Amino acid sequence: MEEEYRILENSVKDFNSKYLDNIVLKIEKEGIPEQVRKAMLEQGFLGMVQLLDGNKVMDKKALSIIIEVLSTSSPSVAMEVFLTNVLFHKLADEQSINEVSQGIKRGTVAFAELMSGYDNENELHMESEKLIGTKKYVLNSDADLIIASATDGNLYIIKSGFKEIETHRKLGFRGLKFGKVEFNTKDYVKIGTKEDLVKAYEEAHPFITALAIGIAEGSLMKAIEYSKVRSAFGNLLKDFQPIAFPISMQYNELSMLKNSLYLALSNESETADILFLKMKSIELAKEITKNSIQVHGGYGYIEDYGVEKFYRDIMSLSVLLYNEEEEKKKLASKLYETEAGYI
Amino acid sequence: MDFEMDEEMISAINKAKEFAEKYFTEELADKMDREEQFPMELLNYSNREGLMDYSNPWKILVTIEELCRKDPGLGISTTVPAFGSEVLMLYGSDMLKEKYLDPVLKGQKIMGLAVTEPGGGSDVASSKTEAKLEGDYYILNGAKMFITNGGIADYFVVLARTSPPPSPDKRHRGMSVFIVESKWEGFKANKIHGKMGVRATNTAELVFENVRVPKENLVGEEGKGFYYIMTFFNISRIYVAAQGLGVAQGILDRLMEHIKKYGPVNSQGEPIENIQFKLAEIATRIEASRGLTYKAASYLFKFNPNPVLTSMAKYYSGETAILASKVAMEIMGLKALNSELERFYRDARILEIWEGTSEIEKLIISRMMLKGGK
Repeated sequence: MEEEYRILENSVKDFNSKYLDNIVLKIEKEGIPEQVRKAMLEQGFLGMVQLLDGNKVMDKKALSIIIEVLSTSSPSVAMEVFLTNVLFHKLADEQSINEVSQGIKRGTVAFAELMSGYDNENELHMESEKLIGTKKYVLNSDADLIIASATDGNLYIIKSGFKEIETHRKLGFRGLKFGKVEFNTKDYVKIGTKEDLVKAYEEAHPFITALAIGIAEGSLMKAIEYSKVRSAFGNLLKDFQPIAFPISMQYNELSMLKNSLYLALSNESETADILFLKMKSIELAKEITKNSIQVHGGYGYIEDYGVEKFYRDIMSLSVLLYNEEEEKKKLASKLYETEAGYI
Repeated sequence: MDFEMDEEMISAINKAKEFAEKYFTEELADKMDREEQFPMELLNYSNREGLMDYSNPWKILVTIEELCRKDPGLGISTTVPAFGSEVLMLYGSDMLKEKYLDPVLKGQKIMGLAVTEPGGGSDVASSKTEAKLEGDYYILNGAKMFITNGGIADYFVVLARTSPPPSPDKRHRGMSVFIVESKWEGFKANKIHGKMGVRATNTAELVFENVRVPKENLVGEEGKGFYYIMTFFNISRIYVAAQGLGVAQGILDRLMEHIKKYGPVNSQGEPIENIQFKLAEIATRIEASRGLTYKAASYLFKFNPNPVLTSMAKYYSGETAILASKVAMEIMGLKALNSELERFYRDARILEIWEGTSEIEKLIISRMMLKGGK
């Protein structure tokens, strides 16, 4: 990793120890506190996209590092950074980007319709120039600005005239609101089509990978630390092969994936490569978060030890940002250079 | 060899199914999960309707399975009020049985087993809780952790050290089992909050500060406690295997329903094969778990326990339940995230931890096999 990124990584780690590590549980229960949001703004975490000559520019590697490191401590905070920079800023108009980057407003994107299991009885639609209907499974459903597609195939940024009408269950990312939002408004701007939403999601794969790697790393580090100090049957846990072997294998697999991600971001790798990295990272993170609970035994099952949340968060991430069937179909079709894997 | 169930078991399954349908509403399951509350009213209904027939262990086993199939948190809570009572059944004096066991089996009192200690986990022999004989009383000091029914039980079966181990490699010696009443002076229970799942079950840390335990509350012989507890685990692990079976089957039920309704399907209108394969794998593992669990139970219920099979059943059914919850979440996606499946996913994870982690089960299996045990 180049020096400038190493410095960035360390500064985000400092941010974690200063602002997040001690209040991770509080964030899970009460949401992201204002002082943390303020610090995030000061660090520029919510404004990683810059407008240069009308073009949106961002340092993908830097953003990936920020998301990954934040995710090792608080996946909820990392998800907020992801939603804001990777999806919202990518799609929003200039005014909205400025408002969110400066902390005047909070923005989110309703993207769940791209995932499997999406169901909604009253989808957002245009009626007499008003946007009416609902969006389900909206992360940050208490945001001030929401980007959402309507049944007319267009993508809108909606600035008022909506409210959360139902809170969904929260398996993971409990620091963020998650619910169903009802719209009845004329206060919107058309910013593109649903295709733009799909494209934004496809371009988000490296950052979803970073989220998954961060979750895996946060969980794995807890297991490593615990196994160094906890004894059973007269030995430290780390001395037992069934503990040490999986942990060390997972550590090395994770390091490989992390390096591959940085390499892919530096080389502007092909979409399929990134997609594969994302799948492997999510799968590995599921394995690691499951094992880390096991290493902690009963303590891993209670929130105070900060391990179980990673197990919940990675499954939420998988459901919210990984459409397994569709994405595996894409990989297979690329290999065969024709449609494949559809039966 | 006959794999058919007899009428009595079928009737127990139907009774449990009806009970769960009637009382395990999603509203109650969700509320108890959110508020971390033990569903005490379910125990009243269970007693009134004679749900737990302790005279036939097969009926208990299938009842646990069926109730956990509907909801793990409520299912376990409803079937665990006599937890630890088998130690009394096997080793308790007539006086202890009459005083403590009878009211528990009649549903009038709740029991818990206090073995695990803070920092002790699977290493039962590292127990630090001490009981010193002074006159007609043992003076009990120490702490226990992750105790099921800890905050609601009237009586506890407590493992404590009564004499130092003769050598470091014989730490399991010198331990004894006592019956302790929660109303006694010096006893304190601190409820554990913030469990990831099975939040309807009551779990607590217990503290014993100079608790005076009458001599006659010693269960069996002094110094044999470790063996009694290991024998108990051979029983309780069968029931935990049944919990795993029920949880896995409940997940499969919901997954099948989802696939039939939503697919996704291929151009021939059949569910896509990747999903069919996953479904087949889960269903096969559940049947394998059931075979293992019932086989282990058949040995145990004929008073000829087979620890190898018991450990296989416990670890495999727990692992299957966890795998099923993962696969179901992945296939059902957003529908699962906002449904009871989300709770099953959190609940299932405990099954490879409590009553002996999967690692401990695997060690039991291999060590006993290598020693030529069954």
